[in-house]
Amino acid sequence: MREAGLAADQVAVWDLPLRIFHWTLAGLVVFSFVTGKVAGPWLEWHMRSGYAILALVLFRLAWGVVGSQTARFTAFVRGPRAGLEYLEAALARRPLQVLGHNPLGGWMVVFMLALLLVQAATGLFVDDEIATQGPLAGTVSNALVARFTTLHRYNEWVILGAVVLHLVVIAAYHWGLRVNLVGPMVHGHMAVRAPVEPPRTASTLLAGVLFALACAAVYWLVIIFPRAAA
Amino acid sequence: MKKQAIVAAFTLAAAFAAEAQIKPETQIKQRRAGYAVMNFNFSSLAAMAEGKKPFNKDEAARNADLVAALSDYMKGFFGEGTDKGETKAKPEIWQTRSDFDAKMDKMISEARKLPAAARADLPALKTAVTDAGAACKACHDDYRAK
Repeated sequence: MREAGLAADQVAVWDLPLRIFHWTLAGLVVFSFVTGKVAGPWLEWHMRSGYAILALVLFRLAWGVVGSQTARFTAFVRGPRAGLEYLEAALARRPLQVLGHNPLGGWMVVFMLALLLVQAATGLFVDDEIATQGPLAGTVSNALVARFTTLHRYNEWVILGAVVLHLVVIAAYHWGLRVNLVGPMVHGHMAVRAPVEPPRTASTLLAGVLFALACAAVYWLVIIFPRAAA
Repeated sequence: MKKQAIVAAFTLAAAFAAEAQIKPETQIKQRRAGYAVMNFNFSSLAAMAEGKKPFNKDEAARNADLVAALSDYMKGFFGEGTDKGETKAKPEIWQTRSDFDAKMDKMISEARKLPAAARADLPALKTAVTDAGAACKACHDDYRAK
């Protein structure tokens, strides 16, 4: 009836690739923020961190199409009505149990991925006008470089806001609704009230292949292409 | 000798600029031109320091001489009223002028260490580039619009 070491009311919601993606991304976002502020010789690492974030986001977009059930955009991107209903339930302290991202969390996933994609992409064109240029800054006009640089500098604070919101909501679930969201993102399992059919999981090997492809694409974009364009 | 002559000429020009009433538009243009040359040459030094470009002593020395020579040239072109126009200079410069001047002087003193460092070795250049870059950033953070 029950698997060894696993209660019957536990169901696997987050696959391994998604969890590795999440925690690596979280670490790199913090690292990028700090190295961007310290700047100077750390800008080299800031840029590398940005390339890694770009590869991770590209992987996540692909995983959102062909990955495990809970990772797929079609599974969690819902209309405004679903979002409002969920919000109403959550505010009434009876959050509906959802395997994977709830309708509000789903929007947040899309929002954060978009912010990070914008940040990583604009970063490629940034010129700090001291000593550091992004790998693609030399391939477009200076007017465009200035625009991307400004966007990169403002978007940083939007990302900080999104991260704070993310943490506040997790804290509210923990203390307000007694729902632990951090645990499942660590071990992958979630407690359910009644037995449910577990979400379908995609192959970890496929995730590895997709991530390798994402890395290759970023390598081409930041190393090979600028050399060819120069 | 030639280098000293260039430095003397720039110093004289800076002193002259501070004396005369030069129209704001021209002051801004001089500033931007000077910083553009500094930025280009300092970027070359930074690329060498970070190993993105091979360390070439002759090129590094030339880059460093230009950065050092120009470092104090712009000081005389931050007159009153030059926060308006095609510039990213913030009005705060004229509100906390002594702090701005201190940061400017810090940058000048760090920039003047570059020529010797570029003629020494790569580790020396690296240190000097880091210090000068930090001095640039300190002022940009407070007094340059994003």
